Amino acid sequence: MVKVNNMQRLLDSGLEELTVMVYKMGGVAEKALAISINGFIDGKDVSKNVLELSEILVNRTVEVEEKAFSLIAKYQPVASDLRIINSYIKVAYDFERYGRYAWDISFITTRFNAKALNFDKWIFEYIGKMAEKVLEMVGISINSLKSLDPELVKTMTRAENAIDKSYFEYLDKLVEQAGVTNESTISSVLVVRYLERIADHAMHIMEAIVYIATGEKVTLR
Amino acid sequence: MKSILPTQISLWRKIVNKLMTILVIVAVALAVIPLIFILGDVLLRGAAAVNLTFLTSLPAAPTSKNGGIASPLVGSFTMVGLASLFSIPIGVGAGMFFSEYSWSKLSTVSGFMNDVLTGFPSMVLGLFVFVVIVLTTKSFSAFAGAVALSFVMIPIIARTTDESLKLVPNTLREASMALGVPRWKTTFRIVVGTGKTGVLTGIILAVARATGETAPLILTAFWSTHYATNLFNQPIGSLTYLIYLYGTSGASNWETQAWGAALILILIMLALNLFVKVIIGRSLTEARMG
Amino acid sequence: MTKIERRTQNTGMPHPSMSKQDFSTAKIETKDLKARFGKVEVLKGINLKFPENSVTAIMGPSGCGKTTFIRCLNRIHELTPGAKVEGEVIMDGINIYSPNVDPVAIRRRIGMVFQKPNPFPTMSIYDNTVAGLKLNGVRDKKKLEELAERSLRMAFLWDEVKDDLNKPGTALSGGQQQRLCIARALAVEPEVVLMDEPCSALDPVATAKVEESIVALKKDFTIIIVTHNMQQAARISDFTAFIYLGQLIEFGKTSEVFEKPKNELTEKYITGKFG
Repeated sequence: MVKVNNMQRLLDSGLEELTVMVYKMGGVAEKALAISINGFIDGKDVSKNVLELSEILVNRTVEVEEKAFSLIAKYQPVASDLRIINSYIKVAYDFERYGRYAWDISFITTRFNAKALNFDKWIFEYIGKMAEKVLEMVGISINSLKSLDPELVKTMTRAENAIDKSYFEYLDKLVEQAGVTNESTISSVLVVRYLERIADHAMHIMEAIVYIATGEKVTLR
Repeated sequence: MKSILPTQISLWRKIVNKLMTILVIVAVALAVIPLIFILGDVLLRGAAAVNLTFLTSLPAAPTSKNGGIASPLVGSFTMVGLASLFSIPIGVGAGMFFSEYSWSKLSTVSGFMNDVLTGFPSMVLGLFVFVVIVLTTKSFSAFAGAVALSFVMIPIIARTTDESLKLVPNTLREASMALGVPRWKTTFRIVVGTGKTGVLTGIILAVARATGETAPLILTAFWSTHYATNLFNQPIGSLTYLIYLYGTSGASNWETQAWGAALILILIMLALNLFVKVIIGRSLTEARMG
Repeated sequence: MTKIERRTQNTGMPHPSMSKQDFSTAKIETKDLKARFGKVEVLKGINLKFPENSVTAIMGPSGCGKTTFIRCLNRIHELTPGAKVEGEVIMDGINIYSPNVDPVAIRRRIGMVFQKPNPFPTMSIYDNTVAGLKLNGVRDKKKLEELAERSLRMAFLWDEVKDDLNKPGTALSGGQQQRLCIARALAVEPEVVLMDEPCSALDPVATAKVEESIVALKKDFTIIIVTHNMQQAARISDFTAFIYLGQLIEFGKTSEVFEKPKNELTEKYITGKFG
């Protein structure tokens, strides 16, 4: 087997910077989602905090795009370098979406909190379970990005299918139940919808990870 | 941070520079001045003798004032011409072999022998031809003289051809071969075609050299005052032999004529060398513009 | 250090044959091609198929044998003293190394453009272009002029020189000289054109012009180009072969090699991690 020493390339420091930017974004996105979902479940007003984090993510997305484009223009990367840079642009957008949905959820909490959300116990439990799963998926998506290990794709796919199922089942259950207050219905549907979207973006991130690792373009959603 | 290098050239350095320049100029002067003296001397002494009669009359007795150099002049041209006829194809051919097959053992060995022949004592070459041709044909001849001169010319032409062709970049040979041109055509048309200036220069220098040779002719062509009617069975006069004969004779008419002949010889050499300079100059200008 | 898993584990071992690939008719192919300089074996058995009317890029680090490889394709390698070739190079069903094949005739069907432009210095632009024809005995003036114009057009040089055909070939700029050399190679109407890093001595504008002409030539010729530059290979070639230390490591469609090379060594080379 031939021993080949890796040269330090000019591209490498740029790639490192880009990678750090993206990991940090992941951390912020995860935090925003955790705060916002827990805020919803506890009935607390966390919208100001979450809004701040969400805006950070919007700015970072633009920065990541600019950095990625400058690397492409300067260094004309190929193969894995090109796949990573392309994927980071997509992943940054997914993180921005995480932030956006985090804000949407916190907005629901605030908007309807004055009327004191009067959910039935089962709704809280239902949403709580979904939220837990979704937060787990978000965590896995971010960690998989760091390790570039596509092995967890199968687990994530199962989880995402489960989330989709939960979403539609919830809609069916609500239709059955009469006499739920308007605010509860609307806000709970919206939140469940947002959770399903978040899971969807987590899968999008997994698709990017598969592309980086193997060069295959897959659709997991 | 201040540089440790001096920013001004020291006085000592300036003095040494000037001294060296002067020494070099002196060396050039020492080398060139004798040449100028010789040329001047020949010009002065020979000019008196040179006129149309001189150039068109046959050599005469020492007592006559009307002797000329016509037949020896023609003799020299004849022999150098004949020698060129032999030496140019053989010399250029050998040069092509040295350059295009330089990796072969034959090339190395014969190349070495060629170099040895280049500086060979021309008297010995004449002696060799004397034994091989003159003694067997039992006469001096223009042919023998020409052969002796060839031995002088061939090594020069071979070496200069070799060096000129070696200067042709290999990439041109490859370009030609890659077009499906056979090896021999590549060598003749492309390699020689590109290096032809150098080859021509070498030929002219060899001709100039041969024109001025005397020793090889002493034992092969010997001397005659008549025009040669047959190149193979009679001796023939040459300009250089005339200079040798007349110059050491002690007869004042002949001595003057010797200086005249020397002047003509030098003019021929100068003309040939100038011709070379013009050719090289023209090709250099072409190369610069291209 | 990020961990990258691969679908196919191919870490640095040579890719011995391309039986998995399926291309249309191969114009020229090599079978177990070996080459040596004296005792040193430079090519260790290369099997490659070059599809007709395509551009294939041969890539690899300096000294890996890629120049030797293409010089074996038109039998120029054997002109170097001490050089030897084994194996077969087959074009249109004939092994060009078989003893009853005339190498000189082969070189008229497989042309070559060299790294440094080398127009014949004593010839004009016109004479340079038709040099291959004239030296091979073509006398018909009309035919020569036709072929000269056609070749110069194909090399994208005609418009720039059509009024100056009698100027010396060396009076052109570097990029123009290289296009002249391309025209010269095309004039003898070869079927395959080999190019040894034709743009490496040229500035970016000249490079772009030469690349343009190569892409246009594809429909009439099969082109094999040695290049160091992955982006150039991506711009102009349909297929890419990666050679390392005299062995074929990977061969495939350029778009695939460019985006996701199958072999880790290939990946390392084209991303500039060595070479």
